[in-house]
Amino acid sequence: MQTLLPYLPSLLAIAVLLPLGSFCAILLGAQWLGAKGKFAGTLATTAVLASTVLSFFSAGIWFTAHPAGAVDHAAHEVPPVITGHGYTLATLAGTNVGINYYIDALTIVMFCLVTFIATCIHFYSTSYMHDELDDVVDQEALLEDGESLHRPGRYARFFQSLSLFCFSMLGLVLSGNYLMTFVFWELVGLCSWFLIGFYVERTTASTAANKAFIVNRIGDFGMLVGMMALWGSLGTLNFGDIDQQQGIFSQVRGEENHYALKVPDGMVRLAAGRQIEALALHATEPLTTEQLAAKVNAEMPVWREANLGYGLLIIAGLGIFCGCVGKSAQFPLHVWLPDAMEGPTPVSALVHSATMVAAGVFLVARSYPIFLPEVLLVVACAGCITLLIGASIALVATDIKRVLAYSTISQLGYMMLALGCGGWAAGVMHLVTHACFKSLLFLGSGSVIHAVQTNEMPQMGGLWRKMPWTAGTMLVGCLAIAGIGIPSVFGLPIGLAGYYSKDLILEQVYAFRSENPLWGSFFFAAAAGGACLTAFYMFRMWFLTFWGEPRAAKRFDRAHESPRVMVVPLVLLAILAVCVAWPAFSWFGLPTLSRSIEQARPAGIWADMHGALWHITLPEESKGHTAAVTSPVGLIELGAALAGIALAALFYAWKVLDPEDVSRSFHPLYHTLYRKWYFDEIYQAVFVRGTMALAHCASLLDRLLIDRLVDGLARLGVGLARLSDLWLDRQGIDGLVNWFAEQTYRLGSALRTLQTGSLRQYVMLIVASTVAMFLLISFWTLALTG
Amino acid sequence: MLFTLVNHLTTDTLASLVGLGAELVLCATIVLILLARMFQLTQRIDSTWLAMIGTLLALMVLSPLTPWDVTRSPVEMVSIGELPQVELFTGMLVHDGFGVMVKTLLLVFLLLLFSLIKLTKAHGKADSPDFTTLLLGATIGMFLMISTNHVLIVFLAIEMASVPSYAMVAIRRGDRKGSEAALKYAVYGAGAAGVMLYGISLLCGLLNSAHLPTMAMRLSELTSAGLSGSQTVLLVMAALMILAGLAFKLSAVPFHQWCPDVFEGATAEVGAFLSVASKAAAVALLVRVALGLGDSVDPSLLATVRSFLAMLIGVVAMVTCTFGNLAAFAQTNMKRLLAYSTIAHAGYLMMAVPPMLALVGVDNAAASQCAGYLGLYLAVYLLMNLGAFAVVAFLRDTMGSEEIRDYAGMIHRSPSVAICLSILLVSLIGLPPLAGFVGKFAVFGGIAQGYLATGDTLLAVMLLVGCLNTAVSLFYYLRVVKVMTMDPIDDEAAPMLVGPGILQRSYLWCVTLPVLLLIIGWNWLNVWIQAATSGLFS
Repeated sequence: MQTLLPYLPSLLAIAVLLPLGSFCAILLGAQWLGAKGKFAGTLATTAVLASTVLSFFSAGIWFTAHPAGAVDHAAHEVPPVITGHGYTLATLAGTNVGINYYIDALTIVMFCLVTFIATCIHFYSTSYMHDELDDVVDQEALLEDGESLHRPGRYARFFQSLSLFCFSMLGLVLSGNYLMTFVFWELVGLCSWFLIGFYVERTTASTAANKAFIVNRIGDFGMLVGMMALWGSLGTLNFGDIDQQQGIFSQVRGEENHYALKVPDGMVRLAAGRQIEALALHATEPLTTEQLAAKVNAEMPVWREANLGYGLLIIAGLGIFCGCVGKSAQFPLHVWLPDAMEGPTPVSALVHSATMVAAGVFLVARSYPIFLPEVLLVVACAGCITLLIGASIALVATDIKRVLAYSTISQLGYMMLALGCGGWAAGVMHLVTHACFKSLLFLGSGSVIHAVQTNEMPQMGGLWRKMPWTAGTMLVGCLAIAGIGIPSVFGLPIGLAGYYSKDLILEQVYAFRSENPLWGSFFFAAAAGGACLTAFYMFRMWFLTFWGEPRAAKRFDRAHESPRVMVVPLVLLAILAVCVAWPAFSWFGLPTLSRSIEQARPAGIWADMHGALWHITLPEESKGHTAAVTSPVGLIELGAALAGIALAALFYAWKVLDPEDVSRSFHPLYHTLYRKWYFDEIYQAVFVRGTMALAHCASLLDRLLIDRLVDGLARLGVGLARLSDLWLDRQGIDGLVNWFAEQTYRLGSALRTLQTGSLRQYVMLIVASTVAMFLLISFWTLALTG
Repeated sequence: MLFTLVNHLTTDTLASLVGLGAELVLCATIVLILLARMFQLTQRIDSTWLAMIGTLLALMVLSPLTPWDVTRSPVEMVSIGELPQVELFTGMLVHDGFGVMVKTLLLVFLLLLFSLIKLTKAHGKADSPDFTTLLLGATIGMFLMISTNHVLIVFLAIEMASVPSYAMVAIRRGDRKGSEAALKYAVYGAGAAGVMLYGISLLCGLLNSAHLPTMAMRLSELTSAGLSGSQTVLLVMAALMILAGLAFKLSAVPFHQWCPDVFEGATAEVGAFLSVASKAAAVALLVRVALGLGDSVDPSLLATVRSFLAMLIGVVAMVTCTFGNLAAFAQTNMKRLLAYSTIAHAGYLMMAVPPMLALVGVDNAAASQCAGYLGLYLAVYLLMNLGAFAVVAFLRDTMGSEEIRDYAGMIHRSPSVAICLSILLVSLIGLPPLAGFVGKFAVFGGIAQGYLATGDTLLAVMLLVGCLNTAVSLFYYLRVVKVMTMDPIDDEAAPMLVGPGILQRSYLWCVTLPVLLLIIGWNWLNVWIQAATSGLFS
């Protein structure tokens, strides 16, 4: 396997390109893919399945070459990374901008994760989207006359978008520079737009698609700013070193500095522009470029001490994070994700919970080396607020997919919080485990919706009798997301996937609290409380859906277990949700999740980080794994989860407490949560109305001033033209042209009569013409000479 | 003495045979076709295929990029730009790049024409051996026209090209129109030949030679000594009479009367041959004769002769062009329209000759460039005119009519045909970005170059007349396009039950696409042609 290591980039590139091939094939050849594009599903599924096989094969190669756990970060060993250059798009100022790749354990793990979940969802979709094979009557899209909309099915188009998404997402994971990341970033955004707006005739869907797209653009604007800061100061957008050319990571965390974060020279130089100018001006004699560079280098430590360029690095970090805020639906740009649930449920499972929205977290993890503690504090704050907002709204939502959407927001907040507190591995691990159980939960909810044809939980209930597989797998998902596990059995903690990652997060936040009491206390309270809320709203959902008596008899009667092709992915993902994070795999020599992630830990993220502007300290992650931290935190977490489940049971299973009663008692709070903290209203009032007002002013200016001016000029021009048309054109030119045409035609007709067809005449003409020509020439010469 | 002479003749003839390779291959093909019909087994072979193979072989022997240089011993291939001008068979013929270039164009045209004949129904298998033999024979005559260096060969070659043509026009037995046309053609041709022969005898008698370079030398001696009045009259008369013969082949006004009648009577395939191959050979012959008489070792001596010839050719060209375009206006038959279009294009072709004559001695490089422009025009004209005649042939096969009004609604009946014919006609007008523009622009560019270098007002007038004619020709070409695309289908129009087949349509596209796309990369063609003509004025 080791000998195959050089082919790893090619293998992964093929894995990326296969879905693109399927996309192109469906795009161009939809009409040849069976009736209504029936084989589009097969094609897309085959492509992504092949990608999955390639990804797992690559993982095998990688972990044979670099066994997980072999890299000792305590001894400051650098993680193995493969970087390389694929294709140069442009060479600007001596630096290449192109397609290149950055492969480390994180890439490998993300590849396996994305392709595996995507495969499950493709299989699931072939059955879920079955209706689209025939003409569809869309009950939710009403025409102007109140009739339901009839339209042809869009089975092929669905898989076409799904394939494009897989390509973009895998490309995003593989990309080796910010530009490529940005391109794929936009591509996944575009796919998301396609897929949210899949039922485009529904006003809600098209609005939601536009909302998602526009909100994401706000984040991307920040990302562009960050990229410009990096490009302008460092002259490269590459992550790693390629062909002796230093990438961003090694400029920020250089080997000579023991991988500790320092402001790179380029940024210092850019920030110290005025000082450099002064150096050049105050020199006694004119300096050559080399001399000036030497002087600047000599001054560099002083300037760095004065924190020159520090702000630039903060801007770069915040800018990149800004993009992540948009994509990962963090506060304050979280508003698009719940609306995005208008798309088909498999899309929600793949794009809007497991992979695309996690791309923001992935990018923060990828860019971790360049994030200053100050930036990370902002990340943590954003994550913390998001976690609370998401969890609180999920408490009262009644739409099953919206509960899951808010839960996604909340869990993404967890990841950001973990990353912001210095818990790199914790955040990434939660990303992986969350992808597993959240896609499971979404597919389960899709199965339910497929059965009862509604999203509203008040119209469900008791469904476990009708669909035991769905209920069972969803229960596993709920337990996993709640983080159920036993802190210590035989010295090892045993639990579902969510337990391990959430435990890591809480441990890290706990360790953070011991360094920064003020921030830390708040964060820890939010994280622990959030764990309780998570358990509550997830079990509220489960109880409302599957437990108790059916609340809508008609729908209940129609309900049925989904076909096997939908259940098998559920079971597969359920197995994953249980055991993906088990440390026990290492007994069989397999790489465990935590060790694989640990292997990818970027160089330098193994020491405490101290903020230079604010007094914060990010503890390195192993500090959270001491017994003094793990035992209380484990108990707190389990307690919170159990408390949440118990509370949910009190409300919805045993009906000891009446939810109606509670919501009436806390009406203002309930209403605030029900209206989603009024975010949409506030944004509507401030941004949308503000923009509209501005646009209105501009349009007034346009209509009253500019339009009138232009209209006047145009009228003048028309008048002049009419005048010239009447006099010059019609009379003069047209007349001339017509006269000429008439005359030539008449001449032509006259010449035609010369052709008599009489042979005798023709032969006569030969002689006659020759003689005539001779006479003509003679007379002419005579006239000229005489 | 005798031995030396015989020895000399043998070596000269043997060396000359290589220079005549393409013609010999064509001759062999004719013999093969004639022999093939004598045996039961070979009788079944369609002689068109044999002719195509022969043509291909001839093209290979001619080797257009690296022709044979017969001056070297042993004979070897050189790149066309380095081919020297050399006389064959003791000065009867001349072998040079210009000849190779025009012959190549003719052979390519012949290949395309044979494919067209395979795709149409007019010349079926029964007549095939006769028809192909005649076609190849006429081509050999044209080859001789192209490489002539001797006045006798001029006459023989013209006859050799013409006589098979008469027969080809009449080849459809029982077609009264064809027979009538052939008779007219033959009688008219005989008349023209008679006049020309009279002119030749006058000229040879005056100059005591029939070898063109020798004649030029004598002429320069005469002019330097001063011409008497009777000599001048004789010379002018002889030149006019020879020109009458050439003008007959070129269908230049006023020796064009045969042309519309013959084109109408002959099939479109024969029309294409007469319109393209015959014109190409005739204009090459015109170049040979005009330069042969006007270009001697010391160019300054023959300036008056050259300017007279330039004026004569220029005026005839202008008149021909204008007359052709004007007379085409009121035509209702497509073949007649194309006949007049051919006359007009013969005028454009002739217009390329006067700047050559004007530039000799002033700027020889520019003069040979002008010859190259003529070649470029020929190459383009070959494709577009062949395409137009092919459309006529296909439509005759499918709807049995050649009337323009029956083409109404063609865009709905057979869009491919309508689009191709529209492109070809617009190219015949010479509008950019089609190939016709490239050719016309090159020829006019050559005239402008000549005018700038010499300041000859004739050239300026020619440029003006040429441009005006282009504008005038717009009308009748576009009328056909309008009929095809905009006019409604007439109830009485000839029916088209089955449109042209896929082979026919792809043939049309094969001819049309180069016309459409030549503008993208025409330089390679220009480079080759310019290299071929670079040795014309040494």
